[in-house]
Amino acid sequence: MKKVLTIVLVLSLVFTSVFATGTKEAAAQASAGETTLKWALWDIASTTYYEPLIKAYEAKNPNVKIEMLDLGSADFMTMLQTQLSGGDSSIDVVTIKDIPGYNNLVKRNLLLNLNDKIKSEGVDLSLYGGTTDQISVDSKLYGIPFRSDFWIVYYNKDVFDKAGVAYPDNDMTFAEYDALARKMTSGVGANKVYGAHYHTWRSAVQLFGILDGKNTIVGGKYDFLKPYYQMVLNQQKDGVVQDYATLKTSSTHYSGVFYNNSVAMMNMGSWFIATLINQIDQGKTEVKNWGLVKYPHAEGVPAGTTLGTITSLGVSNASKKQDAAFDFVKFVTGPEGAEIIAKTGTIPAIKTAEVVKIIAAKPGFPTDQASRDALQVAKTYLEMPLHERAGEIEVVLNQVHDEIMTNNISVDAGIVKMNDQIQKILAK
Amino acid sequence: MQVQSIQTKTITTILYALLILCALAMLLPFVWMVSASLKLDKDVFTFPIEWIPSNPRWENYLEIWTTIPLGTFIKNTAKLTVIVTILQLLTSSFAAYAFAKLEFKGRDLLFLGYVATIAMPWQVYMVPQFIMMRSFGLNNTHLAIIFLQAFSAFGVFLMKQFYMSIPDELCEAARIDGMSEYRIWAQIMLPLSKPALSTLTIFTFVNTWNDFLGPLLYLTRMELKTVQIGLRMFISQYSSEYGLIMAASVVALIPVVIVFLSLQKFFVQGVATAGLKG
Amino acid sequence: MPSKQAHIRKQLVAYSFIAPNFIGFAVFTLVPIVFAIALAFLHWDGSNPIEWAGLANFRNLLDDDQFKAALKNTIVYTAGTVPLTLISSLLLAVLLNQGIKGRNFFRTVSFFPYVASLVAVAAVWNMIFNPSKGPVNMLLYTLGFENVPGWAADKDWAMITIILFSVWKYMGYYMIIYLAGLQGINPELYEAANLDGTNVWQRFRYVTVPQLSATTFFVMVMLTIQCFKVYDIVYMVTQGGPGTATLVLVYDIYNKAFISWNLGSASAVAMVLFALVLIVTLIQFRGNRKLQ
Repeated sequence: MKKVLTIVLVLSLVFTSVFATGTKEAAAQASAGETTLKWALWDIASTTYYEPLIKAYEAKNPNVKIEMLDLGSADFMTMLQTQLSGGDSSIDVVTIKDIPGYNNLVKRNLLLNLNDKIKSEGVDLSLYGGTTDQISVDSKLYGIPFRSDFWIVYYNKDVFDKAGVAYPDNDMTFAEYDALARKMTSGVGANKVYGAHYHTWRSAVQLFGILDGKNTIVGGKYDFLKPYYQMVLNQQKDGVVQDYATLKTSSTHYSGVFYNNSVAMMNMGSWFIATLINQIDQGKTEVKNWGLVKYPHAEGVPAGTTLGTITSLGVSNASKKQDAAFDFVKFVTGPEGAEIIAKTGTIPAIKTAEVVKIIAAKPGFPTDQASRDALQVAKTYLEMPLHERAGEIEVVLNQVHDEIMTNNISVDAGIVKMNDQIQKILAK
Repeated sequence: MQVQSIQTKTITTILYALLILCALAMLLPFVWMVSASLKLDKDVFTFPIEWIPSNPRWENYLEIWTTIPLGTFIKNTAKLTVIVTILQLLTSSFAAYAFAKLEFKGRDLLFLGYVATIAMPWQVYMVPQFIMMRSFGLNNTHLAIIFLQAFSAFGVFLMKQFYMSIPDELCEAARIDGMSEYRIWAQIMLPLSKPALSTLTIFTFVNTWNDFLGPLLYLTRMELKTVQIGLRMFISQYSSEYGLIMAASVVALIPVVIVFLSLQKFFVQGVATAGLKG
Repeated sequence: MPSKQAHIRKQLVAYSFIAPNFIGFAVFTLVPIVFAIALAFLHWDGSNPIEWAGLANFRNLLDDDQFKAALKNTIVYTAGTVPLTLISSLLLAVLLNQGIKGRNFFRTVSFFPYVASLVAVAAVWNMIFNPSKGPVNMLLYTLGFENVPGWAADKDWAMITIILFSVWKYMGYYMIIYLAGLQGINPELYEAANLDGTNVWQRFRYVTVPQLSATTFFVMVMLTIQCFKVYDIVYMVTQGGPGTATLVLVYDIYNKAFISWNLGSASAVAMVLFALVLIVTLIQFRGNRKLQ
C-alpha cells in the first residue's frame, strides 16, 4: 500500500506543478491600460520589415502594443485557420499568404468585411493598382494588400560575360528566351552551366500559359498549357535546365542553385531580391554580379506582363479590438508602411514611382538601367485567382504538373487529366 | 541467453557479415548527417560525397544556438518528455494490469475501444480536440501537450501484451498469500516488467521528443516551443542552410540516444529469471 | 463461491486500476474522436454553423478520384510494408539475441533510424536515392545496369521507395519489441530442444516463433495500424507524388480537412480508413485467439 501512496503523491505533485506554471502563464498575459494587438505572421527572424513597421506604428500610437505570433511559413495558412476555428478572439490582425487560403477564410466567415471601415476612414483603393479588385469577393473586401510581388528573370552577369553573350533584355518573347537559354548552356560535370532554371513549383512553368490573358487557370480547360510544357520539357531533355525529378527528390532550394554560378537565368518572384542582396552581403554566395529583366512574354503581349502574388492584411472577425486592428492594418498597407517595406528591399503593394526608386537605390541592387526598369510592371495575373474551389483545383494542378514534369505522363494525357478532374470539381 | 554448442565458424562469419551490412545501411545516413553538419551549405550536396570535410566548420554548432533559442526549446522539450514519460509509464502499467490479470465487466469491450482509437489518425480529430482544449484554457500551455501524449492507448496495449506473458499462477499464489491486487502490481508485476517498462520509456520518450504537429498547433508562443518546431523553423526560414539544419538535427538527436543507451542495459539484463521460474 | 459483495469489490479494484489512464484517455482522445465520427455525417468547415449531411459525404467519395487513388495506394503500401518489416525485425532481433561480440553496438545502431528526426533522415535518404546523382544509382550504373530506377521520381518506383524507407526506419523499433519478447522466453525450452538434437532452424520454428506469438500479434496489429495511418513519411519523401502515385488516405484526409476545410468529407475518409483497420485487426484477433 505504501508504494501506491507514494505514486499517488508523485502524481499529484507533478500535476500541481504543471497547473501552477499554466496559471502563471495565463496571468502574465493580462496587462493593464494599453491595447495589445496580436498579429499572426510567419518567419520573424528572416523577415526584415516586421520590426521597423511595428516600431514606427508604436511610436505614433504609444498606447498600442503589437505582439507578433509566428506560425511558421510552411503551414501558415493551415495553422492560421486552425487557430481561428471555433471563434477564438486572441488573434486580431491576420496576414493572408495565398489566395486559396484567403478564399477559405472568407468562406468560413473568419475575416471582417472591411468595406465600411475603408469608406469611413477614407482609404484610397486606387493606390493599389487594381489588386484590391482581384481579391474582392462579391465586391466586398476582406483584406488590404501590403506586399505585391511579381515574377521577373534573375540572371548571373558573370556567367554571361564568361560566355561572351549579351545580357537578356526587358523585352523577350518566349522564343527569344528559349533560344537564349539554349545558347547559354555549356560544359559538363563541374563546369556545367544551365541556361535557365525552373523551381519545382507549378507557377514557375505552368503559368507561362496564362500571361496572354486569354485563359485562366481555374477555367476547366487546359489545352493552352501544351506549348509551354513542351518548351520546358524539351529544355529539360536537352540539358538546358536541371532535371525536375532530381530537384524535387533532393528538395533543392532555388536560391542554392542560383548561388552556385551554374545557372544563367532563373525566373522567380521579386521576394528573392531582398534575400539575394542580403546573402551576397554576408558572403554566403558565389554570385557577385547579377541583374534583372522583365518576364518573357508571348507574341503580341506587352513586355512586363507577369505573374503576381499578393500578401494582404485582414482583421479577424472574432477580434474584440477591431477598430484598433484596422488602424494598424491601414498604417501597414498605406503609403507610410509601403515606404518602410520598400526600404528593406521588399515590394510593397502601393507601387508608386517613389517606392520603386527606394528599392532600386538600395545598396546591392544592380546598378544598370535595365534592372531598374524591370521593376516596372505592365500587367499582372494572380498565381491563383480567387475561386470558390481554388484549394481543390490547386491540389489537382500540382499533382498533374508533377506527373508531367517527371515524364510519368505525356503532356497530352496530363492535359486530359486536368480537364477531366477539374471539370468534375467545378461541377460539384 | 546463448544458443549453445553447434555454432560453427561459418555461421558466425555469415552472421557478422549480415550484421555489418545491416549496420552500414543503418549508419551511413547518420555519418552523412554529421559530415554535412560540418560543411558550408553549398558543399553539402557535392558529389562524390566528401565524408570527412577537409575544412570542418565547427561554427555551425555555435551558430544554431544564436539563430534560434535552441536552449529554451531543449529545456521545454525535456520537461514535457520527462513528465509525459512518467505519467505514461504509471498509468498504462496500472491499467494494463487490470486488462491482463483481472476479471471485470466490459473488459474486452474497453480494451477493444483502446485498440480502435489507435487506428484513428490524429488529423481526423485534431480540430475538435483543439477547440475543446482551448475551451479548457489549455491553448499555449505545456499541459495541453502532456494531456495529449500521456494517456495514449499504445502504452496500455504494449504493457498488457507483456503482462499476458507472465504466468497467472504467480498472481494466484500471491493472492492466496493474502496480497492485495495493488501490492501484486507493485511488488511482483512491476519488477518483472522492467524490459517492457524500459521499452515503453524509450518509445514514449522518442515520440514526445520528436512530436511535431502537436506542439506546432498548441504552442505558438516562442518561450513554450519545442526542439522539433525549432528544427522546422530552421528549415522553413533558412531553407538552404543545410549545414545548420544538420547540426541542429545532430543536437536534437543526442538526448534520445543517451536515453536509449542508458536503458539498453535493462533489455540485456532481461526478465529476472528467478521470478519466471518460481 | 465468492459472495456478491466480494465480487463487487473485485470489480471496483479492477476499475480503480484502469481509471487514471482511462479518464485522461476518455476526455482528451475519446470525446474528440466521437465528435469526429459524428462529423462524417455533417457538413462543417470548423467555423460556420454545422449542417446535417446524412450519407452525402460518403456518397461523394464514390466519385472522388483523389480518394480512390489514396485507397488503392494505402492498401498496396500496407501489404508491402507489414510483412517486410515483420520478418526483418524478427530476424534482426534473433540475430542480436545471440551471444555475439558487439551486440550492444548493433542494437544501438539499428535503433538509430527510428529515434532520428524524420525531417533529417528523409533528406539524407532522398540524396542517396537521387535518380540522377545518388550513390545508389551510381553504383547500379557501374555494375552495368542501364535502366536504373527513378526511385521517388518514377511513378512505378515511388511506392517501393516509400516502403523501403519505412522498413528501414521502423525495423529497429519492432526489433526492440521482439528483443524484449525474446528475453521473456524461458531458456529451459531451448535447453530441452538442444537435448532433442534440434538444429538452428528447428529451434527457431518450434520454440522461438510459437513463444513469440503474443509479441508477433502485437507487432502485427501496431504495424498494420501504423501503415494504414502513414502520412509523415510520404510527406517527407514524395509529397504523395509523382502525381498521385503515393497519395495515401491520411494525405487525402489532410487535403480535405486543411486545404478545402471540408471536415465532413475528411471524417468520411477517416471512417473508411477506420473500418479497414478494424476489419484487419479483428481478423488478426481471431487468428491470435485460435493460435493460443
